Amino acid sequence: MTKKAKDLIPPGLVYIADNIISKHNILGESKGSGAKWAKDLNLPKWAETIFFAGCGYQYTSGLESLSSLTRRMDKSVLGAELPMGIAGFQKKLGIDLAGMYRKVVTKGGDSGAQPLRDAVRVLDGLGIKFGYLADEEPCCGGLLHYIGLQQEFARNAQEVYGKLKSLGVKRIIGIVPSCTYTLRNLIPKCVEGYDLEVKHFSEVVLENIGSRELRFPQEVKVTYHDSCQLARYLGLIEEPRRILRAIKGIELVEADWTKGEWATCCGGGGGFEAVFPELSQILAVNRTEELVETGAEIIVTHCPGCIMQLKDGLKELKNANVEVLDLAQIMAMAMEV
Amino acid sequence: MSIFTDYKKEIMDAAHSERMRIALSRAIKSYRSNTNNALKKFPHTIKMAEEVKEIKEKAIGEMEKLVQQACEAIEENKGKAYIAKTAEDALNIITGLVGTGKLIVKGKSMTGEEIGLREHLEEHGNQVYETDLGEFIIQKLNSRPMHITAPAIHVPKEDVAQLFSKITGQDLPPDITLLVATARKLLREKYFQADIGMSGANVVAADTGTLFFIENEGNIRLSTGAPPVHIVLVGMEKLVPTLGEAYKVAEVTWRYANYTVPSYVSLISGPSKTGDIEKVITYGAHGPREFHVIFMDAGRTELAQHPILRQALYCLRCGGCLYECPIFAVTAGYFGDKYFAGVGAVWAAAISRNTEKAAAVAYTCLTCGRCKIRCPVQIDTPEMIVELRRLLAEGASLPPFQ
Repeated sequence: MTKKAKDLIPPGLVYIADNIISKHNILGESKGSGAKWAKDLNLPKWAETIFFAGCGYQYTSGLESLSSLTRRMDKSVLGAELPMGIAGFQKKLGIDLAGMYRKVVTKGGDSGAQPLRDAVRVLDGLGIKFGYLADEEPCCGGLLHYIGLQQEFARNAQEVYGKLKSLGVKRIIGIVPSCTYTLRNLIPKCVEGYDLEVKHFSEVVLENIGSRELRFPQEVKVTYHDSCQLARYLGLIEEPRRILRAIKGIELVEADWTKGEWATCCGGGGGFEAVFPELSQILAVNRTEELVETGAEIIVTHCPGCIMQLKDGLKELKNANVEVLDLAQIMAMAMEV
Repeated sequence: MSIFTDYKKEIMDAAHSERMRIALSRAIKSYRSNTNNALKKFPHTIKMAEEVKEIKEKAIGEMEKLVQQACEAIEENKGKAYIAKTAEDALNIITGLVGTGKLIVKGKSMTGEEIGLREHLEEHGNQVYETDLGEFIIQKLNSRPMHITAPAIHVPKEDVAQLFSKITGQDLPPDITLLVATARKLLREKYFQADIGMSGANVVAADTGTLFFIENEGNIRLSTGAPPVHIVLVGMEKLVPTLGEAYKVAEVTWRYANYTVPSYVSLISGPSKTGDIEKVITYGAHGPREFHVIFMDAGRTELAQHPILRQALYCLRCGGCLYECPIFAVTAGYFGDKYFAGVGAVWAAAISRNTEKAAAVAYTCLTCGRCKIRCPVQIDTPEMIVELRRLLAEGASLPPFQ
């Protein structure tokens, strides 16, 4: 990144970009720390088909606390630019401000990664054979593209492809919508002869679900929130709904307008929450209100960013009667895996 | 990052305004319901919009040819046509025509807003009346428009009542009918006292030199019909080859601007004339005797060269995307520069050439893509935003984007 670029790119995004470039994950965590969730699942590391976990779910607790810090700062007179700028600067000096803060506020555990564990159980339950690269899993670098750092993105794309090829990967099952779109649509534009088959979790589930009996533990009204990347980028609008409709006990209730391709963004798109933490929260609350108005008891979505945003929206609305769950969690419950 | 800091403060102040949020959420609700009804009633619009996309794609590629053609047609119609290479050229041409000490009635024009036309005319000792109700409110509030078709979208009726009470010296209640009648009374005589009427235009047919004006209030009919001189400032991106194509662009524009059909569509191709006495053509019968059209480039032909960002020039200015933008829903036009929301960032960069503002606006976009679903000509704003960010991040000069 040139100095000029750093002048025009908001500090929050420079921070993320530096993390991806230097540590290969959006939070700048040390190598492999994201893979802890899969420790007891005994997934093979080497396989032609891999489950691509992505940064979002793996670093949820870290991202939540960082976002809580910046939101608090953004509402104060200091603004979010200062901590984001300082966080980036201090990291260079070996001091990790955001990390220190995170350790103080993180409630321990990585509950944000639960959808990953459930997704693995669901795939396994459907008889799909796959591996997980764990600490070898590269960051797709999608955010570099959205930040405008195309050269860095292209370099990362080459590395990602090279690494996946060298590990013998042929097929990828993605779960984070943004990573899936990046691996399926963006990286191929930067890599000649790209030959990896990329499918999204919801597509794989739907293909393999057959006439299997699916039943949710109780009768429940559910609404579905489309992530921008899943609905408008990947065009996966019907797939999650067909899965939900196949589960007995679930009644799908939806808004008249703001669904599918017309769904309202949760306010967490493209690194926005790192530039406008407070505004991002306002948008989260607005979207949560739209979803709550359907009368649903559970908001189902399928994106780690959306989950964080909608949970925060419910918290701000002081609504303890509605829960946010990932589609993978719903599936796991319906399959009893 | 000082521009960014100021801009962010403006955006956040707007986002904290409960009144603005109420005004916007009402507007969004009624826009969606009106547009859905209009499209249901006239379902051919969807197909026509696809045709319009093709018309615009082609026309943007040949703007320079079309502008020559339109100028010739207008001159043939006994109007006067001008090409302004820059905003400054446009202002100079207009100042040359207007002079000073004139009374001007003006229709709403985003192109005028783009180059600060009203302020410029006022600085040159002219008295300017904005005649579009929303724009009149904005002018009197000393504010700036917050939506391209509904400039006062963020001002609730209570604030309008307060403003009009101050102007008239009467104590007016927040009754919308009464407020509209008050504006009518305040502006009525100005149309007939005015030396000059000024306007923008929605679309221009190059073959006949015909300009289309879409409106509901009737202020454009009066502004462009009553005064003895009519001056039009129009961006070159509004040109299409033929009258038939121009009609299609106009119909799609108003339908996506949430109207089944607007109250008025005026087609103007030249000055007012009559041959009723001895077949001698005489100019200035009941309408203006002088008709001037200024076609403004101001970065448009350069923008047209860029394979991705040129999409910004396809914009019909129906304003539909703004109603679908989750950020616009809480900030109105504070998310933007002269033009608003994601597409506004491209205009800030390419037309206003304000790199820092363009960056601030570009990094505000969520790239969520709902605007694209609404857009009648399918402008891919997320794609443009990512490309613009790339250019900004790589320190490219804006334009010519190298």
